[in-house]
Amino acid sequence: MRMKIDETLCSGHGRCAKFAPNVYTLDDSGYNADVGQIIAVPSGEEDNATKGRKACPERAITEVDG
Amino acid sequence: MMMDNSPARIVDPQDPELSPERLKERFGRDFFRDFDIDDPNLNTHFHEVIDLMVQKCPVAHSKVGTGYYVFSTEEAVRKIGQDWQTFSSAKGYIPNRPDDMPLMIPVEQDPPNHTAWRRVLNPHMGPKVMDAIRDDVAREVNALIDKFIDRGECEFIGEMAGLLPGRAFFIYVLGVPVVDLPELVHDVDKSLFGPLDERTAYHKKVYDYLEKFLKEREAMEPQGDIVDTILKGVTYGDGSEASWEHKVSVVLDLTYGGISTTIYALGSTARHLADHPEQRQQLLDNPEWIENAVEEFVRAYSPVVAMGRTCTRDTEVEGVQLKEGDYVMMGFSSAGRDPRTIADPKALNFAEPTIHHPTFGVGPHRCIGSHLARMELAVFTREWLRRIPHFRVKAGTEPVYETGFLRAMSSLWLSWDK
Repeated sequence: MRMKIDETLCSGHGRCAKFAPNVYTLDDSGYNADVGQIIAVPSGEEDNATKGRKACPERAITEVDG
Repeated sequence: MMMDNSPARIVDPQDPELSPERLKERFGRDFFRDFDIDDPNLNTHFHEVIDLMVQKCPVAHSKVGTGYYVFSTEEAVRKIGQDWQTFSSAKGYIPNRPDDMPLMIPVEQDPPNHTAWRRVLNPHMGPKVMDAIRDDVAREVNALIDKFIDRGECEFIGEMAGLLPGRAFFIYVLGVPVVDLPELVHDVDKSLFGPLDERTAYHKKVYDYLEKFLKEREAMEPQGDIVDTILKGVTYGDGSEASWEHKVSVVLDLTYGGISTTIYALGSTARHLADHPEQRQQLLDNPEWIENAVEEFVRAYSPVVAMGRTCTRDTEVEGVQLKEGDYVMMGFSSAGRDPRTIADPKALNFAEPTIHHPTFGVGPHRCIGSHLARMELAVFTREWLRRIPHFRVKAGTEPVYETGFLRAMSSLWLSWDK
């Protein structure tokens, strides 16, 4: 599973890391540290990664194929 | 304009529940065809109006002053909040703003000037900083509870909600001398909830105190905190430096942006738990649900009713044609109760982890205090339930609310068995 973090939409709510701290990393301001990137979800973290994606008020996280 | 946005586009003319006569009879005003955020009838019928609005009139119109639109769906609020190029904050976030009212910085700025401030302020308000003061806030909550727990009752706003956010912010974020706190917190409270004719004077007093505090800090050695960051200032997009007035405005914006809103969030949390013993028990049995519960409290009871933007170009939202210069409001209160995104929006579901709502704003103006507020609300809920697990709204009393662009609670009596 891979997730894309939109660079312009992330506004630092920090909700993604609340549910999936092993998937999403925040910078000191609370913004996703991987904005503009596609990240690989570690095996076994798929459910948490999905919860983190769904909790984003900006819809800044999307699952990408492959 | 009226051609494109005839009332027929806004409200289904065939629905008898939505006729102007029926709405006036039910709410004292036809809030759909002529919304008014300052009409006392909105305060009286608040949840009825916003719930019906989000279901049946996702775009309301107001004829007040120069007129404005209110968008109520979660999707429309998100689109407007994120598209700062089309929906500008630079002409103010309240409708019909008096011309002589100074703009608040940075909330009433657009990128890149807004971004310049947020880039330097954000690290002081991030989740790690707030995690580090969690225990301090718990101590503050308990010190307040100590003062009234043996009485078996308290006036929650005056004795808890009205004090905690001010103390947390002024001590742990701004670093105001502790000796000044009682008067400062009292003055902030009076400027928000005091007699109407005294509020401006108290607001001025708070302004003067904070400006003096900034001046004193300017003369001192830097401490590496948020005050030094504000004093250092920022360079704007046109190469100019932020003025002294802008720096004072940043402190005022942080103070007033955070305090009244958190007072309401605490008040509505306490009232909901007082009125719903079964949900209180859920949190007593499952304290790990408290953070979900906080999301549900702020979703269902958003402290910010609506904030506005000015259209920078002709555009279209929800099928409504908007012209350059039109004023639009994002209805945060209703968007958090949108049945299109939440299956049963009036019910609070603490077991549901992935609640999303626009209560802390969407787009670049996302509430800078959101991490502080979430921590404070979670710590409060945990500590209160530990000390006072069972409580109710005091018999014979009614909570008192006020409504404008913010929803506020000015009185909430609670009681419990001693």
